[in-house]
Amino acid sequence: MSNAATTVPIGRTPFRRFLGGYGQEIVVLLSIAALFAVVGAVNQRFLSDNNINAIFAGNAYIAIAAIGMSMVIVSGHIDVSVGSLIGVIATMAGTLAVSGYPVWIAWVAPILFAIAVNAGVGALIAYTRIPSIVVTLGMLSILKGGLISVTAGAWITNLPAEFMIAQMRPFGIPSAVWFMVGLTVIAALFMRYTDFGRAIYAVGGNIEAARAAGLNPERTVVGVFALHGFFAGIAGILFATQLQVIQSTVPPNLELTVITASVIGGVSILGGTGTVIGSTLAAILFACIGSALIFLNVSAYWLRAVLGLMILATVLADMARRRRAR
Amino acid sequence: MTAARLLRHETILAILTVLALIVLANLSDKFFTAENLLNQGRLMSEVGLVALAMTFVIVTGGIDLSVGSILGMTAILLGVFWQNVGLPLPLAMVAALLCGTLAGLGNGLIITRFKVPPLIATLATLALYRGLAEGISQARSVRGYPEWFFYFGQGELLGVPFQLWLLGLLTTIAGVILGLTTFGRATYAVGANETAARFSGIRVDATKLWIYTAAGFLAGLAAVIFVSRVTTTRSDMGTGLELDVITGVVLGGTSIFGGKGTIVGTALGLILIQALKNGLALSGVKGDGTIVVIGVVLIAAILAGALFDRNRGG
Amino acid sequence: MGDRGPAGALPTAASPAALAFPIELRGASKSFAGIRVLNDVSFDMRVGEVHALLGENGAGKSTLIKILSGLYRADEGEISINGRAVKFATPREAHAAGIATVHQELLLFPELTVAENIFLGQAPKTHWRLLDWQAMRQRARQLLDSLDSPDLDIDAKVGTLSIANRQRVEIARALSQDARVLIMDEPTAALAEADVQRLMDIVRRLKARGVAIVYVSHRLSEIFALADRVTVLRDGNHVGTLDIGEVDENRLVSMMVGRAIDRLYPPKQGESGESLLELRHVAYRNVVSGISFDLKRGEILGIAGLVGSGRTETALTIFGITPATAGEILIDGSPVTIASPEAARDLGIAYIPEDRGSQGLIRTQTISENVALANLKRLSTGFMVDAAKVRKEAENAIRRFGIRARGPDQTVRELSGGNQQKVVLGKWLATNPRILIMDEPTRGIDVGSKAEIHILMRKLAGEGMAILMISSELPEVLGMSDRVLVMNGGRIVATFDRQDATPEAVGAAMTRAGGEKAA
Repeated sequence: MSNAATTVPIGRTPFRRFLGGYGQEIVVLLSIAALFAVVGAVNQRFLSDNNINAIFAGNAYIAIAAIGMSMVIVSGHIDVSVGSLIGVIATMAGTLAVSGYPVWIAWVAPILFAIAVNAGVGALIAYTRIPSIVVTLGMLSILKGGLISVTAGAWITNLPAEFMIAQMRPFGIPSAVWFMVGLTVIAALFMRYTDFGRAIYAVGGNIEAARAAGLNPERTVVGVFALHGFFAGIAGILFATQLQVIQSTVPPNLELTVITASVIGGVSILGGTGTVIGSTLAAILFACIGSALIFLNVSAYWLRAVLGLMILATVLADMARRRRAR
Repeated sequence: MTAARLLRHETILAILTVLALIVLANLSDKFFTAENLLNQGRLMSEVGLVALAMTFVIVTGGIDLSVGSILGMTAILLGVFWQNVGLPLPLAMVAALLCGTLAGLGNGLIITRFKVPPLIATLATLALYRGLAEGISQARSVRGYPEWFFYFGQGELLGVPFQLWLLGLLTTIAGVILGLTTFGRATYAVGANETAARFSGIRVDATKLWIYTAAGFLAGLAAVIFVSRVTTTRSDMGTGLELDVITGVVLGGTSIFGGKGTIVGTALGLILIQALKNGLALSGVKGDGTIVVIGVVLIAAILAGALFDRNRGG
Repeated sequence: MGDRGPAGALPTAASPAALAFPIELRGASKSFAGIRVLNDVSFDMRVGEVHALLGENGAGKSTLIKILSGLYRADEGEISINGRAVKFATPREAHAAGIATVHQELLLFPELTVAENIFLGQAPKTHWRLLDWQAMRQRARQLLDSLDSPDLDIDAKVGTLSIANRQRVEIARALSQDARVLIMDEPTAALAEADVQRLMDIVRRLKARGVAIVYVSHRLSEIFALADRVTVLRDGNHVGTLDIGEVDENRLVSMMVGRAIDRLYPPKQGESGESLLELRHVAYRNVVSGISFDLKRGEILGIAGLVGSGRTETALTIFGITPATAGEILIDGSPVTIASPEAARDLGIAYIPEDRGSQGLIRTQTISENVALANLKRLSTGFMVDAAKVRKEAENAIRRFGIRARGPDQTVRELSGGNQQKVVLGKWLATNPRILIMDEPTRGIDVGSKAEIHILMRKLAGEGMAILMISSELPEVLGMSDRVLVMNGGRIVATFDRQDATPEAVGAAMTRAGGEKAA
């Protein structure tokens, strides 16, 4: 077979494959563009450097946590404890930093802790078949209660300057943004081009068929949760270092924002489909909506109602699409 | 056979509860006083009311994560209807309760009509209802309710808190419905094998619709009592309530996979958790730290249940 | 299509001599819970041969297939490949030995593309150990072209494909693993006629390439068109293996049915009465259509047909699970609307479903709970269930049907299949139905219980009940029915009176391709 014999198309054109594979991502991207255009036209200050920085850098940790969450949801599970985990990681990192440990230990040790905790959660879910919602609900209260009882809500201040990784600006762009973009790209390539990445889709799509294809669904789930721990760990470090203080509490409803980013980014809550590019874009979209409400003089207190409606609409559309496909 | 088997879990739980009470009474002499116990009863009423409906929900094999948000939304609406709309307070209470009930009905419709898995449907409405509460209230709290209104949350009847009477009454009713009526049979059947229930002429969708609606109603009722107890309305009321409720129900022996569970078990589960929380607090564990116990107990209870089921060769 | 040359991924028949007997199974036996479902069966495959496997439901075909594909291990007997004995502990090992199976319930990933479904778990890699999507798509294209399916879009999600196309994906997947033996389990059961033809073309292509194919089907026309040899199983026994040239349809049917006429079925008592249930041009979506028949008091009306012929679907429509979308249903001559099983029950219709475990019973509950389920209204005062009445009803059922159980409080899953079926009967007969629909009433139950159920059916009919019976077992249909309807392709294609209903005539109408009208 000669290499030149590709005159006959073997499948769809690259453009149509792109449309077919990234439909939801494109919708979210267009929404962001439209939002910028409209809100920017109404209020110029929305497009100011400061505001755009705030939108991207201030919410990067949500997008990064949503990468791991997307993997979990693609594999057919869910994790409602991620907000508490991020709170614990942030506090742990801050405590290590002010206790005089080298900065790199304050960064790395909490991430390893997050990986270990979530691998344990994954093992519990995979091998005992207890629904992930129940296990992670339990983890939520263990982590949250543990955090509060240990710290008693005391703030951590006087953080060393070299610890504040989120505030560094290599090449003039906040490092949080570098992390968000870099990790999203790496995770997207990982999900698309490695056996493990594809196994996540297979296990979430049809666990019996995955087993028949020689995959090990249990090991895949443990691996997914461990990876999710890694991303949550990084999110926790960025969260810890973006302000001068760490509040030692769990950011309220963070898990919900993270899950919502995944779902609106096109990750089907029934498993088996979706990409991390979508979830990152969706996280940016929320940040934009939150910011836009302020610039449009709409109370930010409506933000969550908007999110709720968006999840509901996305889920219903997903159900309708699946029923049609069947 | 099954009745005996179900009772066995409740018996174990009852023994555990009694043991916990004895240990806690020895740890702190403040624990086993009528005043403390009645006060604890007062504190567990809101969770208890919602747990009654949640038992039905979980017995059908479903789950409702939005109950805490419904509670928050109903509380806000009560304040708004009374203060901003200007309804007389009794009418505002009825209207708010109605809205809570409708929120539950909404869950039921999403689940039965669009076949959205309950976990996802109620996760979405958890955000939606809480968002409505926040949007409507704009983070303003409502205060200044008339004195008579505080009776529901703070008053006593024959020396026992009002809401404990209410909880007792509704627990009895729920127990009778689940254990002795045709509706209860239908609930178990739906949870144990939905297809077989449908093939036996059980109205599966109607059964679920009633149950999710009842969950909305009871969350609303809990909201009224909550507001009355703390004398103020805030939009973050009931945050995390679903966790306490689900833990109590599951600890009470209701299977998260559906088809199994009793109201008696749920009541015992709730009492055990409340006793643990209170006892730990009295013996010096800091307030919020006690929720660690809830998490551990939840996972342990389900793990034990799963292993127990496996040993039975199910 | 241009010159692509021989595709590298495809198996070749380079050395047919070495593979004269690619696989042989000798003296295989298998028992479940003490019941022997396969008894000393031998089976062999030759290169480039289509070997049809034939038998009624419960004859042991699927057990045999599962042993070959590594899902079960035989209790006795051995598998050898090229004369060397092998043991498959898992489906993976069977794959490695070149045996692939196209299952009836296709094991695919609906959210992934065709190309990825074919190569999942064995995708081509670049030298960085990363997935090579371009190569994957190219090889998928070649495989599908070699299956004469250039129209199948390799970039489409499998969830959007028709059943026939999904099946092609699964066949391509099997071939991508260099399968030398391909087991196809009733591949045409869910296909439309045009797709059946295409599938048969594909089978011929594979055969020409040297692949050995085990072809399981009930449709005799396909078997005569495709097979080189045919093996018939009955009740777990090997009836015979013959060249296709040595047999004709009649011979095959009688080999399959065998004991057909020699078994005793209880005789009809009394005459059929007036018409009780009548269907006029009833349809449900495009699943069943133009269904017209009447069911008389005291009559047993049998419906024969293959799986997927529309027989169960017709029953579900009468029972209100899938309410009719067209046509009229009449009871006692007046039109009725049956929108739910509840409505059907209130009209005096009872349905004994084909799948006891998932549709008929709540196996984790007790006998009394199950019996009560369809009778809750009658067994309660107001809203309250009357425990004493429930218990009495369950005791009645146990006595009346001879259910072997410790008592009404025994959990149903602890009972044998036959006794479980009697619980289902008890539940529904307690509703005092006038019309009883029985879907596979004796599937998977022992001979003794089977005979008891047959006697019971006759007795009920004798008392005036109208019974509609669906069965895959031809002798049962012929032995029990006063009249026989034959369904094929969602329609009624033939009606026979008892004396005209010969195994050959009914079998022919059942297996005629595509469901065209009987002559």
